[in-house]
Amino acid sequence: MYSKTKNRVAILALAGAAAVLAQDAPLANNSVNINLPADSPVALLGISTGSSRATARGPALLLDLNLSLTLRNISANRIHGVTLRVVSQEVALGGVGSVFQPGLNIGPGEAFPVHISTKLMRPAQMAGGPLVQVNLDGVLFQDLSFYGPDQLHSRRIMTASEMEAQRDRAAFKRLLAQGGNPALKDAIVKILVRQDSIPQLEGRIVRGHTVTNAALAAATPARQEQFALVEFPDSPIQLMKGSAVVSGNEARSPAIEVRNRSNKAVKYVELGWVLTDPAGRAYMAGSLPSTGAFSLPAGGATEVRQENTLSFSANGQPFSIQRVSGFVNQVEFADGQVWVPNRRNIDDSPLLQQVLPPSVEEERLANLYVNKGIAALVEELKKY
Amino acid sequence: MRHPNRATLALHAGRDLGPFRRWTTARHLAHCQACREEVARFDEMREQLPRLAELPDIPWNRLAAEIKANVRLGLAAGECVRPAEMPLRGGLLVGRGGVAGWRAAVAFATVVLLVGGCMVLERPWPVAVAQAASSVQSTADGIQGQTGGQMLGLMNRGAQRVTYTLGAEGSMGARYTDPETGYVTINTVYVQ
Repeated sequence: MYSKTKNRVAILALAGAAAVLAQDAPLANNSVNINLPADSPVALLGISTGSSRATARGPALLLDLNLSLTLRNISANRIHGVTLRVVSQEVALGGVGSVFQPGLNIGPGEAFPVHISTKLMRPAQMAGGPLVQVNLDGVLFQDLSFYGPDQLHSRRIMTASEMEAQRDRAAFKRLLAQGGNPALKDAIVKILVRQDSIPQLEGRIVRGHTVTNAALAAATPARQEQFALVEFPDSPIQLMKGSAVVSGNEARSPAIEVRNRSNKAVKYVELGWVLTDPAGRAYMAGSLPSTGAFSLPAGGATEVRQENTLSFSANGQPFSIQRVSGFVNQVEFADGQVWVPNRRNIDDSPLLQQVLPPSVEEERLANLYVNKGIAALVEELKKY
Repeated sequence: MRHPNRATLALHAGRDLGPFRRWTTARHLAHCQACREEVARFDEMREQLPRLAELPDIPWNRLAAEIKANVRLGLAAGECVRPAEMPLRGGLLVGRGGVAGWRAAVAFATVVLLVGGCMVLERPWPVAVAQAASSVQSTADGIQGQTGGQMLGLMNRGAQRVTYTLGAEGSMGARYTDPETGYVTINTVYVQ
């Protein structure tokens, strides 16, 4: 009752405020700035801001930007991935975003679309200049060479994605060679079923700790939950032990001790973590990456740790964390090579089978099958 | 065409209109694109509201009981250390020798504290630290990062299936097939 009244009052207040203050306006041409370096391997062919609009709401400016770009590959290599960096203003708080298009196969001279839908809120009195800047952060080519400022670690992210894509295409090609179209079709149908059956968590991350006073801390008692570790025999990183502070639907300060069992230095480790509720249902919770100047020499050991607070819900209800599991999801060596789990690693783990969504390439190829049929899928596999 | 006023559209978006007004407004919306867009904007605002008032799951009644118990304990402890029985004489705040006045002042302050505490617990407002901190979260149609009054969201409107991933370092990703381009797209918002 109180909630309903509160909502009603708030909506009426918003309506009143909107009536007085809202000034809806289409975006001016100079509102969006697309920055491509002079030697960029992609050129901007076209830009459309469609139904984008800026609305003044009291002291804030709410920007709803629907941006359609057309880029052309002006390099001599095939492009397999592009990442654009989206910021309100370089100095503005509120976050930085990126739009990554994996699974591309764009030949020299070919054009491709990129769609960016973003929503921004910032003080209206902020100094002039474009409302949104879109910068090229990276381009990954077929031979895994890279171009770009890489401010968001796009090189590693796109390389790992491409490694997974190569892994999955190879698996599909093997299936096709061994069992023909029916085997390929079966595999795609299983992916579609998995896509629909993987349980999803909604989440929120807050920098640092959210609870700062003793009464609140006492109200939600926390416990140190040990990670159950999923080991891959061929992983260059061995998981030793780990824990997170768990309190209700919150997990904070996850930390895992790792050892480099390869003969190369490692500069990045990303661990996946899985949460299980009291009923035994498991969900993929996200990743626990190393950050900063991480460096792990061959044979060395260290701890991967983050201090943020993560809260989870499922189907709109707070998720009660019962158990936490971890596995190695990605490793980048000092020489730039990237390791990702192989198919057997994933297929042999009942837990990962239960929680891992289809990979980007599996999703892309499954879409192709749904939209164009098995013949188009077979043709697509032949292109690689 | 006569348009409903903004308050009516806002109440319609909140499903708070009476049956007749709801019916007439719905009829108008069926033919009026501008009002439909206005209602859609109110819908968006409604979606934001619960998050703005979001609080951790806290047993308020238990906390209130604990505060009351602590107040009683404090009063009992004060009673124990009181040297001798001193009848309360004079006014409420000014007693003989000032002692009764002091006790009355403490009792009054305790009551004010208790009432104030109860009001806060009954009508809580967001914990300042949690709200002021940078955060990133999934929303109905995208992901958004927020710091203070500034927000950046990357939306995946119209996408059929979206896979969200949280990075414990302070990022959130949304993977989906963009209905406009047909390409798999991964949006990520990083907390600063």
